[in-house]
Amino acid sequence: MKTGFGVFFAVTVTLGLSWLGFVVAPAVQLGSAKQTQVLISGETWPLQQTGEATLGQQVYRANGCVACHTMQVRQESIICDVVLAKPGKNPAAVSNLLSTLKLSGLSKDEAADVSQKISDAGGTPDTRIAVTGPDIKNGWGVRRSVAADFLYDAPVQLGNLRVGPDLANIGARSTAALLLQHLYAPRSINQNSAMPSYKFLFTVEKAGSSPDALKDLPKDIMPAEGLEIVPTTEAKQLAAYLLSLRADAPLYEAPFTPAAKP
Amino acid sequence: MSEENQSCSQPSNAEPTATRSTVPMWIIVATLLLVFVGFVFFDKHSGWFDPKVYAPYGTADELASSQPVSEAQMTLALGKKNFETYCGSCHGNDGLGKPGMAPPLAGSEIVIAKGFHRLSYIPLEGLNGTIKVKGQDWSLNMAAMGAALPDKDLAAVITYIRESWGNKASDVSADDIKAIREEIKAPAQIQGPQLDSIPE
Repeated sequence: MKTGFGVFFAVTVTLGLSWLGFVVAPAVQLGSAKQTQVLISGETWPLQQTGEATLGQQVYRANGCVACHTMQVRQESIICDVVLAKPGKNPAAVSNLLSTLKLSGLSKDEAADVSQKISDAGGTPDTRIAVTGPDIKNGWGVRRSVAADFLYDAPVQLGNLRVGPDLANIGARSTAALLLQHLYAPRSINQNSAMPSYKFLFTVEKAGSSPDALKDLPKDIMPAEGLEIVPTTEAKQLAAYLLSLRADAPLYEAPFTPAAKP
Repeated sequence: MSEENQSCSQPSNAEPTATRSTVPMWIIVATLLLVFVGFVFFDKHSGWFDPKVYAPYGTADELASSQPVSEAQMTLALGKKNFETYCGSCHGNDGLGKPGMAPPLAGSEIVIAKGFHRLSYIPLEGLNGTIKVKGQDWSLNMAAMGAALPDKDLAAVITYIRESWGNKASDVSADDIKAIREEIKAPAQIQGPQLDSIPE
Protein backbone atom coordinates (compact mmCIF):
# COMPACT_ATOMS: atom_id res chain seq x y z
CA MET A 1 0.00 0.00 0.00
CA LYS A 2 2.80 2.37 -0.85
CA THR A 3 0.44 4.36 -3.06
CA GLY A 4 -2.47 4.28 -0.63
CA PHE A 5 -2.21 7.90 0.29
CA GLY A 6 -1.86 8.97 -3.34
CA VAL A 7 -5.00 7.05 -4.35
CA PHE A 8 -6.95 8.47 -1.42
CA PHE A 9 -5.81 11.97 -2.30
CA ALA A 10 -6.69 11.61 -5.99
CA VAL A 11 -10.16 10.20 -5.21
CA THR A 12 -10.86 12.97 -2.70
CA VAL A 13 -9.81 15.67 -5.14
CA THR A 14 -11.84 14.19 -8.00
CA LEU A 15 -15.02 13.74 -5.98
CA GLY A 16 -14.48 17.02 -4.16
CA LEU A 17 -14.15 18.97 -7.36
CA SER A 18 -17.34 17.52 -8.82
CA TRP A 19 -19.15 18.17 -5.53
CA LEU A 20 -18.00 21.78 -5.67
CA GLY A 21 -19.02 22.11 -9.31
CA PHE A 22 -22.34 20.27 -9.24
CA VAL A 23 -23.59 20.96 -5.71
CA VAL A 24 -21.90 23.95 -4.14
CA ALA A 25 -21.65 26.23 -7.19
CA PRO A 26 -25.36 25.94 -8.17
CA ALA A 27 -26.38 26.38 -4.52
CA VAL A 28 -24.31 29.55 -4.29
CA GLN A 29 -25.70 30.76 -7.60
CA LEU A 30 -29.40 29.99 -7.19
CA GLY A 31 -29.87 28.64 -3.68
CA SER A 32 -31.15 31.94 -2.35
CA ALA A 33 -33.60 32.53 -5.22
CA LYS A 34 -36.80 34.25 -4.10
CA GLN A 35 -40.00 35.36 -5.69
CA THR A 36 -39.31 38.13 -8.14
CA GLN A 37 -41.35 40.84 -9.83
CA VAL A 38 -42.97 40.91 -13.21
CA LEU A 39 -41.71 43.75 -15.37
CA ILE A 40 -43.87 46.86 -15.67
CA SER A 41 -46.88 45.57 -13.74
CA GLY A 42 -44.75 44.79 -10.65
CA GLU A 43 -46.78 41.68 -9.78
CA THR A 44 -45.17 38.86 -7.82
CA TRP A 45 -43.67 35.94 -9.79
CA PRO A 46 -44.09 33.04 -9.53
CA LEU A 47 -47.17 32.62 -7.36
CA GLN A 48 -47.25 29.77 -4.87
CA GLN A 49 -49.10 26.78 -6.37
CA THR A 50 -52.41 25.70 -4.94
CA GLY A 51 -52.38 22.57 -2.82
CA GLU A 52 -54.12 20.62 -5.56
CA ALA A 53 -51.45 21.60 -8.08
CA THR A 54 -48.65 20.63 -5.68
CA LEU A 55 -50.22 17.16 -5.37
CA GLY A 56 -50.72 17.10 -9.13
CA GLN A 57 -47.00 17.51 -9.61
CA GLN A 58 -46.49 14.18 -7.87
CA VAL A 59 -49.08 12.61 -10.20
CA TYR A 60 -47.14 14.07 -13.13
CA ARG A 61 -44.01 12.51 -11.68
CA ALA A 62 -45.60 9.14 -10.91
CA ASN A 63 -46.99 8.73 -14.41
CA GLY A 64 -43.69 9.53 -16.04
CA CYS A 65 -44.98 12.45 -18.07
CA VAL A 66 -41.46 13.87 -17.99
CA ALA A 67 -40.31 11.04 -20.27
CA CYS A 68 -42.09 12.60 -23.25
CA HIS A 69 -42.74 16.21 -22.27
CA THR A 70 -40.26 18.97 -21.62
CA MET A 71 -40.93 22.04 -19.56
CA GLN A 72 -38.44 24.49 -20.97
CA VAL A 73 -39.01 26.99 -23.72
CA ARG A 74 -35.94 28.19 -25.58
CA GLN A 75 -35.47 31.46 -27.35
CA GLU A 76 -33.03 32.50 -29.99
CA SER A 77 -33.03 36.23 -30.04
CA ILE A 78 -35.11 39.35 -29.68
CA ILE A 79 -36.47 41.71 -32.28
CA CYS A 80 -37.56 45.26 -31.62
CA ASP A 81 -40.31 47.46 -32.98
CA VAL A 82 -40.28 51.17 -32.38
CA VAL A 83 -43.61 52.92 -31.96
CA LEU A 84 -44.38 56.54 -31.34
CA ALA A 85 -45.72 57.02 -27.80
CA LYS A 86 -46.22 60.77 -27.94
CA PRO A 87 -45.80 62.98 -31.02
CA GLY A 88 -44.51 65.93 -29.00
CA LYS A 89 -44.56 69.57 -30.05
CA ASN A 90 -43.86 69.10 -33.73
CA PRO A 91 -46.06 66.22 -34.94
CA ALA A 92 -45.62 67.05 -38.63
CA ALA A 93 -41.84 66.75 -38.51
CA VAL A 94 -42.06 63.55 -36.49
CA SER A 95 -44.52 61.89 -38.86
CA ASN A 96 -42.33 62.92 -41.81
CA LEU A 97 -39.39 61.32 -40.08
CA LEU A 98 -41.35 58.16 -39.28
CA SER A 99 -42.26 57.63 -42.92
CA THR A 100 -38.56 57.53 -43.84
CA LEU A 101 -37.51 55.06 -41.13
CA LYS A 102 -37.76 51.28 -40.85
CA LEU A 103 -39.67 50.75 -37.60
CA SER A 104 -40.21 47.02 -37.23
CA GLY A 105 -38.04 43.90 -37.16
CA LEU A 106 -35.03 45.81 -35.87
CA SER A 107 -32.07 44.63 -33.85
CA LYS A 108 -31.53 46.25 -30.48
CA ASP A 109 -28.88 48.64 -31.77
CA GLU A 110 -30.96 49.64 -34.77
CA ALA A 111 -33.91 50.29 -32.47
CA ALA A 112 -31.74 52.49 -30.26
CA ASP A 113 -30.67 54.47 -33.34
CA VAL A 114 -34.24 54.95 -34.51
CA SER A 115 -35.40 55.95 -31.01
CA GLN A 116 -32.60 58.52 -30.83
CA LYS A 117 -33.69 60.02 -34.16
CA ILE A 118 -37.30 60.25 -33.01
CA SER A 119 -36.31 61.85 -29.70
CA ASP A 120 -34.13 64.34 -31.56
CA ALA A 121 -37.15 65.34 -33.61
CA GLY A 122 -39.12 65.95 -30.41
CA GLY A 123 -41.28 62.80 -30.24
CA THR A 124 -41.31 60.18 -27.50
CA PRO A 125 -40.47 56.72 -28.88
CA ASP A 126 -41.36 53.43 -27.23
CA THR A 127 -39.42 50.26 -28.03
CA ARG A 128 -41.41 47.03 -28.06
CA ILE A 129 -39.35 43.86 -27.62
CA ALA A 130 -40.55 40.54 -29.02
CA VAL A 131 -38.90 37.16 -28.60
CA THR A 132 -38.06 34.84 -31.51
CA GLY A 133 -37.19 31.17 -31.86
CA PRO A 134 -38.71 27.88 -33.02
CA ASP A 135 -40.34 27.13 -29.66
CA ILE A 136 -41.97 30.55 -29.63
CA LYS A 137 -43.10 30.00 -33.22
CA ASN A 138 -44.67 26.68 -32.18
CA GLY A 139 -46.82 28.55 -29.70
CA TRP A 140 -45.19 26.86 -26.72
CA GLY A 141 -44.46 30.10 -24.91
CA VAL A 142 -43.86 33.80 -25.18
CA ARG A 143 -40.35 33.87 -23.74
CA ARG A 144 -37.62 31.48 -22.64
CA SER A 145 -37.93 29.59 -19.36
CA VAL A 146 -35.78 30.86 -16.53
CA ALA A 147 -34.91 29.49 -13.09
CA ALA A 148 -37.50 31.68 -11.36
CA ASP A 149 -40.32 29.79 -13.13
CA PHE A 150 -39.44 26.62 -11.21
CA LEU A 151 -39.17 28.14 -7.74
CA TYR A 152 -41.96 26.02 -6.26
CA ASP A 153 -41.34 22.84 -8.28
CA ALA A 154 -40.08 19.86 -6.28
CA PRO A 155 -38.58 18.11 -8.11
CA VAL A 156 -37.99 20.27 -11.16
CA GLN A 157 -39.00 18.13 -14.13
CA LEU A 158 -37.40 19.84 -17.08
CA GLY A 159 -37.46 16.79 -19.33
CA ASN A 160 -35.15 16.18 -22.25
CA LEU A 161 -37.27 14.51 -24.90
CA ARG A 162 -40.05 16.07 -26.92
CA VAL A 163 -42.32 13.27 -28.03
CA GLY A 164 -45.15 15.53 -26.96
CA PRO A 165 -45.28 19.30 -26.88
CA ASP A 166 -43.50 21.46 -24.35
CA LEU A 167 -45.65 22.11 -21.28
CA ALA A 168 -43.90 25.13 -19.76
CA ASN A 169 -46.83 27.37 -20.68
CA ILE A 170 -49.69 24.86 -21.04
CA GLY A 171 -51.75 26.64 -18.37
CA ALA A 172 -52.02 29.68 -20.60
CA ARG A 173 -53.39 27.80 -23.59
CA SER A 174 -55.67 25.11 -22.20
CA THR A 175 -58.62 24.52 -19.92
CA ALA A 176 -59.36 21.89 -17.30
CA ALA A 177 -62.05 20.28 -19.47
CA LEU A 178 -59.75 20.00 -22.49
CA LEU A 179 -56.89 18.61 -20.41
CA LEU A 180 -59.09 15.97 -18.79
CA GLN A 181 -60.51 14.86 -22.12
CA HIS A 182 -56.97 14.74 -23.49
CA LEU A 183 -55.83 12.56 -20.62
CA TYR A 184 -58.80 10.24 -21.13
CA ALA A 185 -58.54 9.93 -24.90
CA PRO A 186 -55.66 11.88 -26.47
CA ARG A 187 -56.71 11.12 -30.05
CA SER A 188 -60.13 12.59 -29.53
CA ILE A 189 -58.39 15.98 -29.39
CA ASN A 190 -55.37 15.49 -31.61
CA GLN A 191 -55.76 12.74 -34.20
CA ASN A 192 -52.03 12.16 -34.52
CA SER A 193 -51.25 12.17 -30.84
CA ALA A 194 -48.67 9.61 -29.74
CA MET A 195 -49.74 9.91 -26.14
CA PRO A 196 -51.09 6.83 -24.38
CA SER A 197 -54.54 7.06 -22.91
CA TYR A 198 -54.65 7.55 -19.16
CA LYS A 199 -58.03 5.89 -18.77
CA PHE A 200 -57.04 4.45 -15.41
CA LEU A 201 -57.26 7.97 -13.97
CA PHE A 202 -61.01 7.89 -14.68
CA THR A 203 -63.91 5.77 -13.50
CA VAL A 204 -67.15 4.91 -15.25
CA GLU A 205 -70.12 5.74 -13.04
CA LYS A 206 -73.88 5.88 -13.31
CA ALA A 207 -74.98 9.06 -15.08
CA GLY A 208 -75.58 12.00 -12.80
CA SER A 209 -73.36 10.71 -10.00
CA SER A 210 -70.71 13.45 -10.15
CA PRO A 211 -70.67 17.09 -11.22
CA ASP A 212 -67.07 16.62 -12.46
CA ALA A 213 -68.04 14.08 -15.15
CA LEU A 214 -66.59 14.75 -18.60
CA LYS A 215 -69.07 16.58 -20.77
CA ASP A 216 -69.50 17.03 -24.53
CA LEU A 217 -67.39 14.00 -25.42
CA PRO A 218 -67.16 12.97 -29.09
CA LYS A 219 -69.44 10.03 -30.02
CA ASP A 220 -66.72 7.38 -30.34
CA ILE A 221 -65.48 7.69 -26.77
CA MET A 222 -68.85 8.31 -25.20
CA PRO A 223 -69.75 5.68 -22.59
CA ALA A 224 -72.91 3.58 -22.91
CA GLU A 225 -76.29 5.12 -22.27
CA GLY A 226 -76.84 5.90 -18.60
CA LEU A 227 -73.14 5.98 -17.72
CA GLU A 228 -70.61 8.79 -17.40
CA ILE A 229 -66.85 9.19 -17.11
CA VAL A 230 -65.68 10.72 -13.86
CA PRO A 231 -62.10 11.88 -13.29
CA THR A 232 -60.46 10.52 -10.14
CA THR A 233 -58.81 12.83 -7.61
CA GLU A 234 -55.44 12.17 -9.27
CA ALA A 235 -56.75 13.24 -12.67
CA LYS A 236 -58.14 16.47 -11.22
CA GLN A 237 -54.89 17.16 -9.38
CA LEU A 238 -52.89 16.55 -12.55
CA ALA A 239 -55.12 18.93 -14.50
CA ALA A 240 -54.75 21.54 -11.73
CA TYR A 241 -50.98 21.17 -11.90
CA LEU A 242 -50.93 21.51 -15.69
CA LEU A 243 -53.12 24.60 -15.47
CA SER A 244 -50.69 26.12 -12.96
CA LEU A 245 -47.82 25.87 -15.46
CA ARG A 246 -47.29 29.29 -16.93
CA ALA A 247 -44.28 31.13 -18.29
CA ASP A 248 -45.90 34.15 -19.87
CA ALA A 249 -44.88 37.09 -17.70
CA PRO A 250 -41.98 39.35 -18.69
CA LEU A 251 -39.18 39.10 -16.15
CA TYR A 252 -35.92 40.99 -15.80
CA GLU A 253 -33.92 37.98 -16.99
CA ALA A 254 -36.24 37.29 -19.94
CA PRO A 255 -37.58 40.69 -20.97
CA PHE A 256 -40.16 41.39 -23.62
CA THR A 257 -42.96 43.86 -24.05
CA PRO A 258 -46.28 42.35 -23.02
CA ALA A 259 -49.28 42.86 -25.23
CA ALA A 260 -51.34 45.76 -23.92
CA LYS A 261 -54.32 44.56 -21.92
CA PRO A 262 -57.58 45.57 -23.55
CA MET B 1 9.03 -4.13 -34.82
CA SER B 2 10.55 -6.87 -36.93
CA GLU B 3 14.00 -8.19 -36.27
CA GLU B 4 15.17 -7.09 -39.67
CA ASN B 5 14.12 -3.54 -39.05
CA GLN B 6 15.74 -3.46 -35.69
CA SER B 7 19.02 -4.69 -37.00
CA CYS B 8 18.97 -1.99 -39.67
CA SER B 9 18.28 0.96 -37.40
CA GLN B 10 20.20 -0.13 -34.31
CA PRO B 11 23.89 -0.65 -34.47
CA SER B 12 23.88 -2.94 -31.41
CA ASN B 13 21.28 -5.37 -30.05
CA ALA B 14 20.71 -3.24 -26.97
CA GLU B 15 17.07 -2.37 -26.10
CA PRO B 16 16.36 1.32 -26.82
CA THR B 17 15.96 3.23 -23.57
CA ALA B 18 14.74 6.67 -22.68
CA THR B 19 16.52 8.80 -20.17
CA ARG B 20 14.69 10.81 -17.53
CA SER B 21 14.12 14.44 -18.32
CA THR B 22 11.69 16.99 -16.91
CA VAL B 23 8.96 18.70 -18.93
CA PRO B 24 10.28 22.13 -19.88
CA MET B 25 8.90 24.84 -17.64
CA TRP B 26 7.73 26.98 -20.56
CA ILE B 27 5.27 24.31 -21.69
CA ILE B 28 3.66 24.22 -18.26
CA VAL B 29 3.45 28.00 -18.07
CA ALA B 30 2.11 28.31 -21.61
CA THR B 31 -0.54 25.65 -20.97
CA LEU B 32 -1.69 27.30 -17.77
CA LEU B 33 -1.82 30.67 -19.51
CA LEU B 34 -3.87 29.20 -22.33
CA VAL B 35 -6.27 27.57 -19.86
CA PHE B 36 -6.60 30.86 -17.99
CA VAL B 37 -7.32 32.85 -21.14
CA GLY B 38 -9.82 30.20 -22.20
CA PHE B 39 -11.67 30.39 -18.91
CA VAL B 40 -11.76 34.17 -18.97
CA PHE B 41 -13.17 34.07 -22.51
CA PHE B 42 -15.76 31.50 -21.45
CA ASP B 43 -16.82 33.47 -18.38
CA LYS B 44 -17.00 36.70 -20.31
CA HIS B 45 -19.38 35.23 -22.83
CA SER B 46 -21.50 33.55 -20.13
CA GLY B 47 -22.28 36.74 -18.27
CA TRP B 48 -19.63 35.91 -15.63
CA PHE B 49 -22.01 33.19 -14.41
CA ASP B 50 -24.56 35.75 -13.31
CA PRO B 51 -27.73 33.79 -12.40
CA LYS B 52 -29.85 36.44 -14.13
CA VAL B 53 -28.09 36.28 -17.49
CA TYR B 54 -29.43 33.75 -19.98
CA ALA B 55 -28.86 33.31 -23.70
CA PRO B 56 -29.19 35.26 -25.97
CA TYR B 57 -27.64 37.81 -23.63
CA GLY B 58 -23.89 37.67 -23.12
CA THR B 59 -23.41 40.06 -20.23
CA ALA B 60 -25.37 41.67 -17.42
CA ASP B 61 -24.96 45.05 -19.14
CA GLU B 62 -26.42 43.72 -22.35
CA LEU B 63 -29.40 42.36 -20.41
CA ALA B 64 -29.88 45.62 -18.52
CA SER B 65 -29.90 47.58 -21.76
CA SER B 66 -32.47 45.20 -23.29
CA GLN B 67 -35.20 45.93 -20.76
CA PRO B 68 -38.31 47.35 -22.34
CA VAL B 69 -37.97 50.98 -21.35
CA SER B 70 -41.31 52.58 -21.26
CA GLU B 71 -41.22 55.29 -18.64
CA ALA B 72 -44.88 55.98 -19.23
CA GLN B 73 -45.91 52.37 -18.59
CA MET B 74 -43.67 52.11 -15.52
CA THR B 75 -45.10 55.29 -14.05
CA LEU B 76 -48.67 54.13 -14.60
CA ALA B 77 -47.90 50.74 -13.02
CA LEU B 78 -46.33 52.42 -9.97
CA GLY B 79 -49.26 54.79 -9.76
CA LYS B 80 -51.78 51.96 -9.98
CA LYS B 81 -50.04 50.04 -7.21
CA ASN B 82 -49.92 53.04 -4.87
CA PHE B 83 -53.44 54.13 -5.75
CA GLU B 84 -54.85 50.74 -4.89
CA THR B 85 -52.91 50.74 -1.62
CA TYR B 86 -53.68 54.25 -0.37
CA CYS B 87 -56.65 55.63 -2.30
CA GLY B 88 -58.64 52.69 -3.64
CA SER B 89 -60.42 51.78 -0.41
CA CYS B 90 -62.39 55.07 -0.50
CA HIS B 91 -62.26 56.22 -4.12
CA GLY B 92 -62.64 52.68 -5.47
CA ASN B 93 -60.10 50.85 -7.63
CA ASP B 94 -62.34 51.72 -10.56
CA GLY B 95 -62.15 55.45 -9.77
CA LEU B 96 -65.92 55.73 -9.50
CA GLY B 97 -65.91 56.82 -5.87
CA LYS B 98 -68.17 55.52 -3.13
CA PRO B 99 -71.44 57.21 -2.24
CA GLY B 100 -71.21 58.95 1.12
CA MET B 101 -67.47 58.37 1.30
CA ALA B 102 -65.44 59.76 -1.55
CA PRO B 103 -66.25 61.45 -4.86
CA PRO B 104 -65.45 59.81 -8.21
CA LEU B 105 -62.10 60.56 -9.84
CA ALA B 106 -63.16 59.38 -13.28
CA GLY B 107 -64.30 62.47 -15.11
CA SER B 108 -63.96 64.73 -12.06
CA GLU B 109 -63.33 68.37 -13.05
CA ILE B 110 -60.54 68.74 -10.49
CA VAL B 111 -58.73 65.65 -11.73
CA ILE B 112 -58.90 66.34 -15.46
CA ALA B 113 -58.22 70.09 -15.14
CA LYS B 114 -55.57 71.46 -17.48
CA GLY B 115 -53.21 72.04 -14.56
CA PHE B 116 -52.45 69.59 -11.77
CA HIS B 117 -51.74 72.20 -9.14
CA ARG B 118 -55.07 72.23 -7.32
CA LEU B 119 -55.38 68.46 -7.57
CA SER B 120 -51.92 67.91 -6.05
CA TYR B 121 -52.79 70.03 -3.02
CA ILE B 122 -55.54 67.63 -1.96
CA PRO B 123 -53.41 64.54 -1.14
CA LEU B 124 -50.68 66.77 0.31
CA GLU B 125 -52.88 68.72 2.70
CA GLY B 126 -56.12 66.78 3.03
CA LEU B 127 -59.57 68.21 2.50
CA ASN B 128 -62.43 68.97 4.85
CA GLY B 129 -65.87 70.35 4.06
CA THR B 130 -68.13 70.43 1.07
CA ILE B 131 -67.00 70.51 -2.54
CA LYS B 132 -68.81 70.04 -5.83
CA VAL B 133 -67.80 67.15 -8.10
CA LYS B 134 -69.64 66.39 -11.35
CA GLY B 135 -72.58 68.55 -10.24
CA GLN B 136 -72.98 66.84 -6.89
CA ASP B 137 -72.13 68.15 -3.44
CA TRP B 138 -69.75 65.99 -1.44
CA SER B 139 -69.17 66.52 2.24
CA LEU B 140 -65.72 65.18 3.00
CA ASN B 141 -63.05 64.71 5.55
CA MET B 142 -59.98 63.41 3.81
CA ALA B 143 -56.61 63.11 5.54
CA ALA B 144 -53.36 64.15 3.84
CA MET B 145 -52.96 60.70 2.35
CA GLY B 146 -50.10 61.62 0.04
CA ALA B 147 -48.01 63.71 2.42
CA ALA B 148 -45.88 60.77 3.49
CA LEU B 149 -45.38 59.34 -0.01
CA PRO B 150 -42.10 60.03 -1.86
CA ASP B 151 -42.37 62.60 -4.65
CA LYS B 152 -41.96 59.94 -7.33
CA ASP B 153 -44.77 57.76 -5.95
CA LEU B 154 -47.19 60.63 -5.46
CA ALA B 155 -46.44 61.94 -8.95
CA ALA B 156 -47.15 58.45 -10.29
CA VAL B 157 -50.47 58.27 -8.42
CA ILE B 158 -51.57 61.67 -9.73
CA THR B 159 -50.45 60.78 -13.26
CA TYR B 160 -52.35 57.50 -12.94
CA ILE B 161 -55.63 59.10 -11.87
CA ARG B 162 -55.28 61.76 -14.57
CA GLU B 163 -54.82 59.13 -17.30
CA SER B 164 -57.07 56.25 -16.25
CA TRP B 165 -60.76 55.38 -16.50
CA GLY B 166 -61.19 57.58 -19.57
CA ASN B 167 -59.39 60.58 -18.09
CA LYS B 168 -56.98 62.16 -20.54
CA ALA B 169 -54.89 64.80 -18.81
CA SER B 170 -51.18 65.57 -18.75
CA ASP B 171 -48.39 63.83 -16.81
CA VAL B 172 -47.08 65.05 -13.48
CA SER B 173 -43.39 64.63 -12.72
CA ALA B 174 -41.65 64.12 -9.39
CA ASP B 175 -40.09 67.58 -9.78
CA ASP B 176 -43.53 69.15 -10.07
CA ILE B 177 -44.59 67.53 -6.81
CA LYS B 178 -41.36 68.64 -5.18
CA ALA B 179 -42.05 72.24 -6.22
CA ILE B 180 -45.59 72.08 -4.85
CA ARG B 181 -44.36 70.60 -1.58
CA GLU B 182 -41.96 73.52 -1.21
CA GLU B 183 -44.78 75.93 -1.92
CA ILE B 184 -46.83 74.53 0.96
CA LYS B 185 -44.90 75.77 3.95
CA ALA B 186 -47.27 74.79 6.73
CA PRO B 187 -49.61 72.01 5.60
CA ALA B 188 -53.12 72.46 6.94
CA GLN B 189 -56.27 70.67 5.88
CA ILE B 190 -57.97 72.58 3.08
CA GLN B 191 -61.43 73.79 4.08
CA GLY B 192 -64.02 73.14 1.34
CA PRO B 193 -64.40 76.53 -0.37
CA GLN B 194 -60.69 77.32 -0.04
CA LEU B 195 -60.04 74.75 -2.76
CA ASP B 196 -61.27 77.13 -5.45
CA SER B 197 -58.73 79.74 -4.37
CA ILE B 198 -55.84 77.42 -5.20
CA PRO B 199 -54.76 78.05 -8.79
CA GLU B 200 -55.22 75.14 -11.22
